[in-house]
Amino acid sequence: MLKMENVSKIYRTNLIETHALRKVDLHIGAGEFVSVTGPSGSGKTTFLNLAGLLETFEEGDFYLDGQNVKGLNDNQLSELRNEKIGFIFQSFNLLQELPLFDNVDVPLRYRGFNAKERKDRIENALEIVGLSSRMQHLPTQLSGGQQQRVAIARAIAGQPKFLLADEPTGNLDSLMAQQVMELLEKINQQGTTIIMVTHDDQLARRAHRNIQIFDGQVSDLAQDQTDVLIKSE
Amino acid sequence: MFAYNLKLAFKSLNDRPSLTILMVAAIAVGLGLFMTMLTLSHQAGKIPMPHISKQIHLVQLDNREVTADEAENFNQMVDLTYQDTQNLLKLPSAGVEQTLAWNTNGILNVEEQEIQPQRSSVVATNQAFFTMFEVPFLYGEGWDSDADQFSQAVIVLSKKSNDYLFGGINSVGKQVRLNTHVLTVIGVLDDWFLARKFYDRSYYQAWPDQAFIPSNFAFDSDLPRNARFDCWSTTTNPGKFRTNYLTELKTSECAWITFWAKLPNHNLEDYKTQLGQYIDSQKRLGRFPRENQYFLTNINDQLEVISNMIGREQMLGVISYMFFAVCLINAVSILLAKFMRRTKEVSLRRALGAKKRTILQQHLIEVVFIGIIGGLFGILFSYIGLQAMLRVSLYASDYVRTAADLMPYHQMDWEMIMMAFTVSVSCTLLVGLYPIWRICNVSPASQLKAQ
Repeated sequence: MLKMENVSKIYRTNLIETHALRKVDLHIGAGEFVSVTGPSGSGKTTFLNLAGLLETFEEGDFYLDGQNVKGLNDNQLSELRNEKIGFIFQSFNLLQELPLFDNVDVPLRYRGFNAKERKDRIENALEIVGLSSRMQHLPTQLSGGQQQRVAIARAIAGQPKFLLADEPTGNLDSLMAQQVMELLEKINQQGTTIIMVTHDDQLARRAHRNIQIFDGQVSDLAQDQTDVLIKSE
Repeated sequence: MFAYNLKLAFKSLNDRPSLTILMVAAIAVGLGLFMTMLTLSHQAGKIPMPHISKQIHLVQLDNREVTADEAENFNQMVDLTYQDTQNLLKLPSAGVEQTLAWNTNGILNVEEQEIQPQRSSVVATNQAFFTMFEVPFLYGEGWDSDADQFSQAVIVLSKKSNDYLFGGINSVGKQVRLNTHVLTVIGVLDDWFLARKFYDRSYYQAWPDQAFIPSNFAFDSDLPRNARFDCWSTTTNPGKFRTNYLTELKTSECAWITFWAKLPNHNLEDYKTQLGQYIDSQKRLGRFPRENQYFLTNINDQLEVISNMIGREQMLGVISYMFFAVCLINAVSILLAKFMRRTKEVSLRRALGAKKRTILQQHLIEVVFIGIIGGLFGILFSYIGLQAMLRVSLYASDYVRTAADLMPYHQMDWEMIMMAFTVSVSCTLLVGLYPIWRICNVSPASQLKAQ
């Protein structure tokens, strides 16, 4: 479903080279809920940006839904991003001057859906997150938790195969974080693969699988445990 | 997608409207000044009777003394003496029309007591004037060769004079007084738009003179001669010829009459030959002491020399170009700042699937719209600027010329209006390319982590 083979990402300036990710080998299957943890500056966001096709990489191969994305041009990456991936950000990243309906509409516009299909999808997505009655409200009229639910509605409206969440509960209190987490679990149960970066160990443990990133190197705990079991046998 | 981008572009213009107003104002003010100067230059550059202007030649013969300076162009050359005009009119030039013109003035009056006598500028000429210059007539026509030959008391009125003296009716056959002389109206001009009043070599922008009379009649009536008399040094006080000494003037070597010939290409060489032969014949009589030199200058070439001499429009043109450039730079700075404020939104839209070309289209629409609005207001400012320049021109002429005289040279035609739009949109687009390029190259990942 999502497969990285020897993927490396290096940031270069005139003076220094920074290895943000080093030779990442990773496979995430369809329908998995994977948490990504690690200290600040370890490369979690870079990993998420690569997975979300927001950045390119220097080495290795990356297969998304069976398609090797290496060498795709900007237009192809945009189309793939729009079709296959939904994003949820820590700071919600809603367009403050647009009502909820129009916020959720943004990725659907770029997908080229007609007006009726867009309307159906927006209403459905807002229904899922429990905000169908507030379609014409502005984001500023909502609480943080509600804003994050709008962001989730925007992410799932196009029915992508992947949801990439970067600290989705980082700006929320525990009660709202709980609600958002339950919502993500519900979406995952319907078949969407979720990759979630978090600092919260408790939330990370609720995922099917945890990946740790340290100093640009990925440590896949599930894979490690499998290896240990194989050795002990 | 275009409709969506259009909506986003309009929304962006409404966002922080003060910045939008500032950008539009910068473009409009710069364009206004630019178009004002361009219009003046455009109108000044228009050529009267463009379809025959290359055939209408000013004729000048160099009868000056040997010590006179070399003349490089027609503007440094004297006009014709009375005797030369009379001799040239008798040249056996088949198919060549020739006319002469000199300015006089007088009081035009009619019998009706309620009409105030009017001081008028009058052109003394011959019958060929009206056919050569394709003068439009509202009523009647120009006089015939008999009127020239027998010095008949006939007059052609301008439309403005006819409106004043006769209330605009067909006045052909009616009588007017020019000073103490009674003349019969033989024709009334229609509106005669001359981009430059060339026939008396004033070249300024005005309507024609108020009346036209046969030159011989003007001589016989000893009307004043409003001219510059370029005389040989042996003639003292040439100013005396303005109102006196007509007989002496007619035999003098004072050049003062403007002379024109209509020379289609096939006649030009033949006419030149005849001029050369004429000068040779006069040399044998002791005239024309210098080399065989004459000037035949068509209207286009005259205006080119005059335009280079005036130079005012060109200087103002350069200033207006620079001012417009400064205004555009101001506008683009604001545009850049406005676009850069939007990097987070663009980054988000790119992450959500917007292609670069979609972002490009959205911002192009916005820039074009600013260009169009700037163009509209620029045309309004141009109108105001031209009105201001009209007042300046009136003041500069000591109010001798009227607003009606100058109006045609201070208004934009459709060609200029379309040019204003094109200049506004294309220049705004051109300078907007950099901000657009910057915003289109915002990385989708660059701003998403920002709080």
